[in-house]
Amino acid sequence: MKKLAIVLMVMTCAFSLFAAGAKETAATGELKGPGKVTLTRLGYNAGFDVNKNYMVPIIEDVTGYKVEYFELPAQNADEKLMMEVASGKEYDLLNLSVDQWRTLVGSGALLPLNDLLEKYGKDILAGNSKETWAALSDDNGNILGVPYMYPYDTEVSNFMIVRMDLVRAAGINEIPTTLDGFYDMLVQLKRYYGDRYIILAGPYRNAANGSNSLSFPQIVSSAFGIYNDWMVDEKGNVQYMSEHERFPELVSFLAKCAREGLFDPDWAANTTSSVTEKFASGKAIIASSDRNLAQASIPALSTSHGLGPDDFGFISALEGADGTCKYMESTSIGKVTAILKKSKNAADAVNWMNTKIQNQLYINIGVEGIHFNYDAAGEIAPINPIFADERGDSFYYLDVTDADVFKTEWPSRIRKSEAQWLAFDAATMKTNANRPQIFVENKFAYMPAAESFARYNTTLLNSLNDFVLQVMAGTRGVSDIPTYIRDWKNLGGEDVRKELAAYLATK
Amino acid sequence: MRIKPQYSSERGFTLFAYVFMTLLALVCILPCIHVAAKSISGGTLVVGGQIFLFPKQIQFDTMGYILKKTAFFNCLKNTIIVTVLGTFISMFTTITTAYPLSKPSLRGRRVIVLLYVFSMVFFGGIVPAYMVVNTLGLLDTYWALILPFAIIQFNMFVVKSYFEGIPESIEEAAYIDGAGDVQTLTMIVLPMSTPIIATVSLLYAVNYWNNYFHAMMYTSSSSMKTLQVYLYDTIENGQALLENLYGGAFGSTVGQSLVNITTGGIVAAAVTLSIIPIILVYPFVQRYLIQGITIGSVKG
Amino acid sequence: MKKSTQSFWNYVKAHPFLYIMLIPGLFFLFVYKFWPLYGLTMAFKNYSIFAGTNPMNAIRASEWVGLKWFRTLFSSSQFSIVFTNTLAINFLKIIWLFPIPICAAILLTSIRLPWYKKALTTAIYVPYFFSWVIIYGIFYSLLGSYGILNTFLSSIGLDRIMFFTDSRFFRSLLIFTEGWKEIGYNTIIYLAAITSIDPTLYEAAKIDGANKIRQIWHVTLPGLLPTIVLMLILKVGYILDTGFEQVLIFYNPAVYDVADIIQTYVYRIGLGQANFSLATALGLFNSVVAFILVVGANAISRRSLGRSIW
Repeated sequence: MKKLAIVLMVMTCAFSLFAAGAKETAATGELKGPGKVTLTRLGYNAGFDVNKNYMVPIIEDVTGYKVEYFELPAQNADEKLMMEVASGKEYDLLNLSVDQWRTLVGSGALLPLNDLLEKYGKDILAGNSKETWAALSDDNGNILGVPYMYPYDTEVSNFMIVRMDLVRAAGINEIPTTLDGFYDMLVQLKRYYGDRYIILAGPYRNAANGSNSLSFPQIVSSAFGIYNDWMVDEKGNVQYMSEHERFPELVSFLAKCAREGLFDPDWAANTTSSVTEKFASGKAIIASSDRNLAQASIPALSTSHGLGPDDFGFISALEGADGTCKYMESTSIGKVTAILKKSKNAADAVNWMNTKIQNQLYINIGVEGIHFNYDAAGEIAPINPIFADERGDSFYYLDVTDADVFKTEWPSRIRKSEAQWLAFDAATMKTNANRPQIFVENKFAYMPAAESFARYNTTLLNSLNDFVLQVMAGTRGVSDIPTYIRDWKNLGGEDVRKELAAYLATK
Repeated sequence: MRIKPQYSSERGFTLFAYVFMTLLALVCILPCIHVAAKSISGGTLVVGGQIFLFPKQIQFDTMGYILKKTAFFNCLKNTIIVTVLGTFISMFTTITTAYPLSKPSLRGRRVIVLLYVFSMVFFGGIVPAYMVVNTLGLLDTYWALILPFAIIQFNMFVVKSYFEGIPESIEEAAYIDGAGDVQTLTMIVLPMSTPIIATVSLLYAVNYWNNYFHAMMYTSSSSMKTLQVYLYDTIENGQALLENLYGGAFGSTVGQSLVNITTGGIVAAAVTLSIIPIILVYPFVQRYLIQGITIGSVKG
Repeated sequence: MKKSTQSFWNYVKAHPFLYIMLIPGLFFLFVYKFWPLYGLTMAFKNYSIFAGTNPMNAIRASEWVGLKWFRTLFSSSQFSIVFTNTLAINFLKIIWLFPIPICAAILLTSIRLPWYKKALTTAIYVPYFFSWVIIYGIFYSLLGSYGILNTFLSSIGLDRIMFFTDSRFFRSLLIFTEGWKEIGYNTIIYLAAITSIDPTLYEAAKIDGANKIRQIWHVTLPGLLPTIVLMLILKVGYILDTGFEQVLIFYNPAVYDVADIIQTYVYRIGLGQANFSLATALGLFNSVVAFILVVGANAISRRSLGRSIW
């Protein structure tokens, strides 16, 4: 008995001291070739098993490389990323958000890719513009990441879906295009329905972990000439939203709507899932949303309430009484893929990405005749459901594209869901056709990583969103804007402004 | 002394006990039933918020999807291994620590207990914790999820408290009979301690089962994912899971079976499936909790 | 002097295995709890995780800034609000939620039907297994402004109650959901303690003519007292340091004034910065307070009730 006890104790201690295997020797940057190495790629959280997805064998067949995919967790992703990189994990590829990439730029852990791209990544270099490469380089001209450009330049990504059946029953037959028309519609709906329905549900954002979206609909602020948190005025000065001359008006308008019960009473607590749930269950008449909500809710509503395509209306960017309407371009770097200095297979990683670009159409859209056809206008028309079944998830495995070509291919991907396409067509395509002048250039789309911006901007945006929500909830007022601006300065606002202005001066 | 029949007040008390506990149990369990109902109800009704306590349009597509198309079973397996192995290791460590510390005569007792209290309150931060695990080469292994919990101070104090409640006379009797410390512990004290062993084992098991943070930080390969990480990911990414599937066109019957797979349904099904093992195991453990009532009476 | 050292070593010689038994626990304690304490120095440095070749020696490589982070914390205009909120919320939780598991455990002893008893304990235990993310989802669909309860209230002509965005109700929501989750877990602990009470004490009380309620007062409660004291000391000790995950998931800007606690505030101002130093400084502050409170509560308990953790 005693002996057993001692043995057990010793075993317990010994197990916990079990050390890792022998250290491996450092690698060179030489190409080993497909089939000779297994690449490792760390990406964002997917929800599905990223190693068992149907896209994995497709990509492996085409490129010849075996890849092991790792995911960051859904929460605390940034901390885990930093700890893994700092403690020397040897991932070959990191698929990062722009914020994550900017944080790592200053760390010295990312491998400069200039030589490798010249040797093995010619298509990658050719597929993206000089501006983009400048944005991804550090002060010494070292390219530290490979971009995934957002494939649509002028998308109205944040629009509103309207239950036209309910709206028509209340005596309204048209989708409003002006702010006043919008307000009148809300008031009439409230008068007709009382509090049986949520008139407008929103905001459509994931409040946790500091998202990049605003806590109020962008198509409403467009009517005040406010299109982004950082804006450039006519004189070329960099301005934060809280300093914009019409910000008090915007905030008062939002607060007024909230007070009159025109907005969801739980506006401050809403997230993407609660707004989706409210609209899809029929509790809300209008929802502030994006294409994903359309896909999630329209089929469900059609089945449960027997609705057809005519029963859904879409509100795009609203105009002010004086004709002001400003919406920001969607040109931006969507994601950045970087390679760690510690990677042993850097050359192969670049080669892998290059091969993927060469087969961009096949990987992301599929085979002509099976997954898609060219329609009369020469556009790609996907064949559903096989398109969604066999290429639906390719977005997760996308690192870099030939940007211009992908812009023509990508819209077809939206068609994997008719609901998404309906929304996209109404909100974006029609706006592009009828009112292309509303789009404002995103002057900072190609800004390289800057220290203060990387450090403070998330907190600044979060504080702005919180402030607007508090005014809407009534716990703060328009008169608190100066106090907010003071807090904003304490959070590092001026440092970020300096960096933005410096960049602007170089353009 | 006259023994009064206590029937009425005792009956009243028992009645109160039944009512109070039943209400408490209902408050606790009804929301869970709501979730379980959503997990097997028709997709449109789930999205439409029509499900309360009874499932409607019963379907098992959602559960089938979770069990077959996602990593549910693998994550469950990982969690079970960690829980079972971890509980054994932890109970061993806890009992061997609590017993000596429960003896008031132990020299150095105050110091050691203070060490435990101190460590309970002071935490070095996630970075050093991560680095310790990393330095020991335990990242991405089961050990990373077990060994940091090899002893939980609170649980040790609970066991210590129980051991302190055992009358000294029992241990003296064993001592007189010639038993050493280890024998007293294993042959006298432990058999008397079934309820506390069951309880603290349960506390540890629950801790291992529920742990999200360590699993999230210390593992990175998909094969080592545990159930809690899986659940968190599923909840956060319900939307992405859906984009996996065809969205369904107007009036189309092609995606009919897929209509039942909704974000809300997926989350409800994942959560319900993860609770089932617990509901199956728990009543067995209960038996040991209640058992100790007749054991351990001491005369004189 | 000599005498006590002798008895110390004599004691060790007489009971060697007691000390050997302590080894595994102490070993794990040192490796997994004390070794990482080195990281507490981060609280006094401007920690950059990339300063060294790995995060650990990055601590050594980062520069000292003394009390800078503590100053940032305490001099912020929000500090008094979040400090008050932290104390208030946790204090209210103790007041409302502490007695319930004790009562539940005692009441459970009156349930004679074994299957019903098992069903009851299982039912109250299940919520503990739901993570806060899930609990939020459940209660939002129940208590949201257009949730099940409010739809019912509205249908009978009453006003909707905004549990999630109204400062008057939010703390109650926090307290209620915490109770919902944790009552079962705590009841088990007390239940186990009750089963350890010597049954002869009950018999003796019965012979003395005590009815059920007097038995509880004179036998059960004193028997539970060590456990109650343990739990209470710990709850009070952690009064500044709990509830972070719950609040982070439940709160929103509309209720910051009543629900923003120290940890959520620090989390917000550190968003996107991965400021480990600030988080460590806060953790250190909480730990020091908790340590003082636990030691203090223990001393008070020893003096007044004769019971203590050590």
